[in-house]
Amino acid sequence: MSSRISGMGWITPLGRGVDKVWNRLLHGDESPAQTISRDEGNETYQAFLVPAEAVRNLPPHSRLRRASAISRFAAAAGLDAIAEATSMGLKIDVAKLALIFAVSNGGVIYTKRFYHGIVESGAQSASPLLFPETVFNAPASHLAAILGVEGASYTIVGDGAVGILGIKMASDLLETNAVDYCLVVAAEEADWVLCDAYSKWRLTRSSPPIEVFLDRPHGTILSEGAGAVLLGREGALQVDAINAGGNFAHQRNAGEVVERILWDLRDQNGCIVASANGTFVDLAERDAIKKQMPHSPVYTPKPAIGESVGASALWQVIIAGQALVKGQLPPMAHGSTDAGLRLSETASRSGSSAIVLACGLNQQAAGLRLST
Amino acid sequence: MSSCNAFNGTSKNCRVAVVAAGIVSPLGFGLAETLQALRNATDCIAAVSRFDVASCRCKTAAQIPDQRLLANRENSRKNARLHRASHMMIAAMTELFDRDPEFKPEVTVIGTTSGGMSFGEDYYRALHRHQNLRRSPEWIANYPPQKPVLDALKVFEISSPCFVIANACASGTNAIGRAFESVRSGKCQRVLTGGYDALSELVFVGFDSLQAATPEKCRPFDRDRTGMVLGEGAAVLALENLESAKERGAKIIGEILGYGISTDNHHLTQPDPSGSGPRRAMELALQSANCSPDKVDYINAHGTATPFNDAAEGKAISELFGNVPVSSTKSMIGHSLGAAGAIEAVVCLLALQSQFLPPNINFRASDPGLVLNIVANESRDAKIDIVLSNSFGFGGTNASVLIRKVAA
Repeated sequence: MSSRISGMGWITPLGRGVDKVWNRLLHGDESPAQTISRDEGNETYQAFLVPAEAVRNLPPHSRLRRASAISRFAAAAGLDAIAEATSMGLKIDVAKLALIFAVSNGGVIYTKRFYHGIVESGAQSASPLLFPETVFNAPASHLAAILGVEGASYTIVGDGAVGILGIKMASDLLETNAVDYCLVVAAEEADWVLCDAYSKWRLTRSSPPIEVFLDRPHGTILSEGAGAVLLGREGALQVDAINAGGNFAHQRNAGEVVERILWDLRDQNGCIVASANGTFVDLAERDAIKKQMPHSPVYTPKPAIGESVGASALWQVIIAGQALVKGQLPPMAHGSTDAGLRLSETASRSGSSAIVLACGLNQQAAGLRLST
Repeated sequence: MSSCNAFNGTSKNCRVAVVAAGIVSPLGFGLAETLQALRNATDCIAAVSRFDVASCRCKTAAQIPDQRLLANRENSRKNARLHRASHMMIAAMTELFDRDPEFKPEVTVIGTTSGGMSFGEDYYRALHRHQNLRRSPEWIANYPPQKPVLDALKVFEISSPCFVIANACASGTNAIGRAFESVRSGKCQRVLTGGYDALSELVFVGFDSLQAATPEKCRPFDRDRTGMVLGEGAAVLALENLESAKERGAKIIGEILGYGISTDNHHLTQPDPSGSGPRRAMELALQSANCSPDKVDYINAHGTATPFNDAAEGKAISELFGNVPVSSTKSMIGHSLGAAGAIEAVVCLLALQSQFLPPNINFRASDPGLVLNIVANESRDAKIDIVLSNSFGFGGTNASVLIRKVAA
């Protein structure tokens, strides 16, 4: 395993910029939930949304003119990761740059708008401008065009674990001489239809806070944004193990897969950045951590920035990276004091390695370990 | 552990065998029916029966009959909840594992474009029309693209990692390519790969709105081509380190020799007219196989029958390969999007095994702008050893795989 993190970028409900958002997490800030209303009808939903100013200074590229929010988030995070690497003096030859885009729900806003037209007025009203933006790989295509990537570009789809699978694929690509760098970007956009769907799936709650590691989970709150990690052969952070995990047929079996991943990645001197989000995931992770790394500090960012599904694992990776570089973990909000885990209400020391656990909501789990 | 040669100074260079395959498509269920239908140049395109297309220009598609696909649906409540795409994947994997029960994949890499899209449509339509939403949890849980793959893996008690590639219409070939690279590099001994997609209203209307779908016959590379027709299906391939396959006595049905991927940034939905994107993918596939263009005996083209795609691909093929026989089997089975690359790889394997060229049906007149040797209207017997399969998609994704008859 030779890949290292050469640059990072993220755009979250707490803003944009690795250090800026990190400092807000360290101060214990939580994103305020915003109310999204259904296009028709009185129903409202709460979600953590990216502040509008965070995407204002994107480059004026023609591909972004009509692009959806998810493509803008992906571009913002991806370009920031590249900018961080170049600011450190790294030279990126775009001919040897690969792109991996990880996503779960994709461009729901345009997809809903496109299909709404069909349902409301029939096929003849369907918009040919919207349809191409509904395709899962549209954000990757836009980002590839902005960066000038003409080689490998992959869009991979999955649940909350998909970001880790993206890093695994990137790490594999880096092991050939064909690629010097691989930009992994994960993004998601929030919309009322997504909030409604996850609510009917019985995974969300009506309003914050997201309380984690409770015996009886109360549900999560969806959020949006993007995370990006530029993998290369240089950088302060090493990806020293990736476990692409596996699949669990039922929520009740998630713990077995998560425990197997943590057993593989365990480091008693390390910290854990978990994916606990107020759902069954909390119980799976709690039990696995108690068995495999009971004394390690545990942090999950979901109470502060919500459940961004496809983007969430890359946010966790960035937090894990920052924790190692800065030597501390942010304070853990709304964690159960009865969970039997080392959850700290104040910033705490991170340890010599950081393990990211990503247990998704739809049968996939994976993890990785970072060190300096 | 099997031996591999050094590759590019850093990675290994193991040979990659195909040891089994499974397929369900409008051509039929399984390899035998598929072969027969290819030989017979069967036109599988008919009026769309799954949803109302009265307001669309195009009114046809190649569909898998539900009566047969969903025959096991009522066997259990669990089966009844699954998406049609899950049933397609289960059918394809059943054939594969029937043919090689000993194949135990370490990783699965599958391509798709739209997952269980019709469940998303059911949910949104019911929501919008204030209809009964009792089934919404199952629609939502079974809508994501990974779900049909996981449903099928569960049937065979496979819980290893699963990568789902959604590179639009190139997804299936990209999945095979990534699986190939995993085995070739020595990272994995066995990878299950392929692709699936089920016909959905949203996607159908989308292509219709772009006027990419035709109200007429699908005529790839024809002078009078007017567009594509959609299809559906699933195909899976079992890739294994050749030495490992030989050691356990597996039946080797082909060898993946090379893979190329490129990105064309010309436009989100249209290729660069120069054909540079497809050409780069084909060149990279040849390079990775250390194979010269004159060794290629047949090309299963992406060939959607849209004016722009066929022009760009045809130009790239004729510049790179000259007079090699070319056909687009989409003329028979339509464009099955994320499944297309996998289905066409299986078509190539059948062509290699049975030594014939699959036909490009509905072909009437050569395009004066393209110098291509089209396998027009009827299958042809031919001695073929190496074939190339192309897939190109929205977002400028281009992928090509090179397949050889049987590992020597």
